[in-house]
Amino acid sequence: MRSIRTVGAVVLAAGLALLLAACGSSGGSSSTSTTASGASALSTGGYKSPLTEALSGKRGGTLQVLQETDFEHLDPGIAYFSVDYAVIFATQRPLYSQKPNSTAPTPDTAEGQPEITDGGKTVTVHIRKGIHFSPPVNREVTSADVAYGIERGANPDVANPYLQSYFKSIEGMPTATGGPVKGIETPNKYEIVFHLSEPKGQIVADALVLPLSAPVPKEYAEKFDKNKPSNYAAYEVATGPYMLKNNAEGKVLGIGYIPGKSATLVRNPNWSASTDYRPAYLNEIQVKIGGTSTVLGRQVLEGTNIVQNESAVAQPNVRLAAEKFKSQLEISPGGGAHYIGVNNAHGPFKNVDLRKALWAALDRASMDKARGGELVTNVATHFIYPTINGFEQAGGLKGPSGPQFDFNEHPEGSMAVAEKYMKLAGYPSGKYTGGETVTVVGSKGSPAEQDAEIVNETLKNLGFPTKFTLLEASTMYAKYCNVPKEEIDICPSVGWIADFADPQTVLNITFNGTTITPTGNVNWGQTNVPKINKAMAAAEDVVGNEARAKAWAKIDEEIVEDAASIPFDWDKQANIEGSTVNGVGDLWNVGEWDYSYTSLK
Amino acid sequence: MSATAELVPSGGDNLEFLDVGGDIAARSPLQLFWSRLRRDRVALVSLGFIVFLIVLAVAAPLVVSVLGLPGPDVQNLNLTDSFGSPLGPSLSHPFGVDPLGEDVMSRVIYGARISLEVGIVGTGISTIIGVIVGMLAGFYRGVVDTALSRFMDVVLSIPILLLGLGLGAACSVRGCVSGLIQPGVGTIIFIISLATWPYIARIVRGLVLSMREREFVEAARALGASDMRIMFREILPNLTAPIIVYGSLLIPTNILFEAGLSYLGVGIRPPTASWGQMIADATPIFSTAWWYMIFPGVALLLTVLAFNLLGDGLQDALNPRNAR
Repeated sequence: MRSIRTVGAVVLAAGLALLLAACGSSGGSSSTSTTASGASALSTGGYKSPLTEALSGKRGGTLQVLQETDFEHLDPGIAYFSVDYAVIFATQRPLYSQKPNSTAPTPDTAEGQPEITDGGKTVTVHIRKGIHFSPPVNREVTSADVAYGIERGANPDVANPYLQSYFKSIEGMPTATGGPVKGIETPNKYEIVFHLSEPKGQIVADALVLPLSAPVPKEYAEKFDKNKPSNYAAYEVATGPYMLKNNAEGKVLGIGYIPGKSATLVRNPNWSASTDYRPAYLNEIQVKIGGTSTVLGRQVLEGTNIVQNESAVAQPNVRLAAEKFKSQLEISPGGGAHYIGVNNAHGPFKNVDLRKALWAALDRASMDKARGGELVTNVATHFIYPTINGFEQAGGLKGPSGPQFDFNEHPEGSMAVAEKYMKLAGYPSGKYTGGETVTVVGSKGSPAEQDAEIVNETLKNLGFPTKFTLLEASTMYAKYCNVPKEEIDICPSVGWIADFADPQTVLNITFNGTTITPTGNVNWGQTNVPKINKAMAAAEDVVGNEARAKAWAKIDEEIVEDAASIPFDWDKQANIEGSTVNGVGDLWNVGEWDYSYTSLK
Repeated sequence: MSATAELVPSGGDNLEFLDVGGDIAARSPLQLFWSRLRRDRVALVSLGFIVFLIVLAVAAPLVVSVLGLPGPDVQNLNLTDSFGSPLGPSLSHPFGVDPLGEDVMSRVIYGARISLEVGIVGTGISTIIGVIVGMLAGFYRGVVDTALSRFMDVVLSIPILLLGLGLGAACSVRGCVSGLIQPGVGTIIFIISLATWPYIARIVRGLVLSMREREFVEAARALGASDMRIMFREILPNLTAPIIVYGSLLIPTNILFEAGLSYLGVGIRPPTASWGQMIADATPIFSTAWWYMIFPGVALLLTVLAFNLLGDGLQDALNPRNAR
């Protein structure tokens, strides 16, 4: 799980402190196919979406990709940034992965669904035969390669950001440093078994959709992993349909990937279509890094075999595409959630009624309009967002219902309801007279900045004196919003992307009181309600999609009732493509292009 | 009409002969200065613009309400289209609106307050510091001069933009020096004062060094005047002209510096309107909202130009030997 527009350090610290997940013992996945989650939340106003794209295409051709931001990490053991994922999932095959139009895991390097036995304490996965590493390794993938891929995640010189969040229950993992882990067994070349110290088989199995489970050849990678930090990415081999272009020694750096400049994906000659579900239409993908998003977008819209891959396409270009290049715009729902972190532990907003007053007064519709309007947003009314299992059960688009949720019923803001809660909080005039100055720390840059300003103005309208600061997103998270002792009252620019479609990955780390950490804290409101903590502990063990959806939806409702933080936007990702591209975005990541399905007309 | 020559002191000790018509009359330095400035049309127009700007800034709330504009912080997302793009100039919003639906004209008018405040106050503080330090260094010479001059060298070698970025970021949330330096205008004025006083100090030092040897200083000393009296009552009045000239040329530099810092996001903080910050916000949406960049940009351009031209005019009028 990732905080929006951060990754790396922030999430690393969060992950280390995380106590995720005990799920029950039976098999099956807690993720769901999104077709179950309300059509209205997934509607894209008549524009193409991953759900409407034809997944067939013409074979051949070279796709040009423009992206403003460089990759963070292209090592499958480290990558955690949505922009990195576009390359990772075209070149690497984790045990499971998702088709672009679904959030359900599809066996990838695995041959079938994971078997969870022994009361949830053992997970067995069978490996598909006939998958080969790209040159210069060339040999067939075995279970030992998957084991090494995961084990090296614990190597401090690799330092996988989510290993401890999801795989800590594997026996020996908490003390592992990159060598063999006691709880990872490979009885034969095509079988891998995870022995767990706790019955958390479900979440371990679910997390096998993450790139960490992609096979890595030990005899080849080990020498690179001995470097501090590991430079395996500079020589990495692929199992997917594409590979980063390399030389005879396997060197990628400076050839297939030039940091800050370009990346070139070519076909993996050892890839066999019969072992993979990906069609892989394109012959080559050339990524050009740098430039200004607004300029890149125009080049794409007026170009042919070209796409832009960005965590957010510039607003003027989304508008231009919608007005003039409608067929070149794809909207992907499920781009994550944005909300306002409200400090429950310190300052005026310890008072739940003041939190509700702020929620009621906020014009969330305007906040979403500043983000680009209905085309790319839905007004959020709770925390489990569209495409995540449990979205409908938690109230769908409308949110939880009942008189106790009156503060949530006015997306355009209601000062009357706000006044009611101000009075309940002990301010009879309906305005705050407590004298405490509210510290607001938001993120710079459009549209986060505009949203933060709307929040600041609303606070002032409610009578709160404010101290308003906008910082770079990384500073905002790392120095202030993720650090409880800074006692920031309002963090208006925080957001969350789930790692996979289980509701636990959306709610647990962000609202469970036991996950609060001194730094890298992503429970931004420092919500610590014993009732909610207890409910989460119980819900972690619940088995089966429906049951989990229900259990976590109930928790979602309790978090809303506590006004623990204020959700305002469920994001939809806008992707733009040139006139001859038949681009396919994904539903399961934040909606970026899937190069294994994209083709040229 | 008779041509007469009039002996007039100018700029302290400059002597100048002027042709004047009509009755012979002694003119005060101020009158003479004004008569010269009056002939410089460019400087006059600039002065007029600056006076207009000052009136606009001081009376901003009144001007905005007379023009029937909403306040600078009044958000109205109904003034953006369905994609969230701001609407352009119209009768009710002559300069258009920004992405929050705030009136750009209203923000440009209020932005003048910040620019002038930073320009004038920042320059004022650095001038006072510069004059005092320069005076001490020039008057006492020797060890004092060496120490102060080296200190000025140190200050002048600080990369000011980097310092601004650093301080702006470090003091951004809680302020610095136990809240003494507050984020926003306070920080910017502090940085500007810190960075620019040595320029004034160096000039003052040089002038004082030569002036302290003059007869009138000797005379004052012979009469038993204290050092303080000599410095501030005898020498300082003779430095007025260069101080005014250099001070007025420093103002536009400081205004641009504020705009630069605000553009980089460490200066004036929203919701306070600042031209630099508006230009920064407008950059990514220029293709859909040109007005958001053009109007604050033009305001900044005209203001800086006016101060520069006025500074040049003042220099000519106060020190006519210094032909440009």
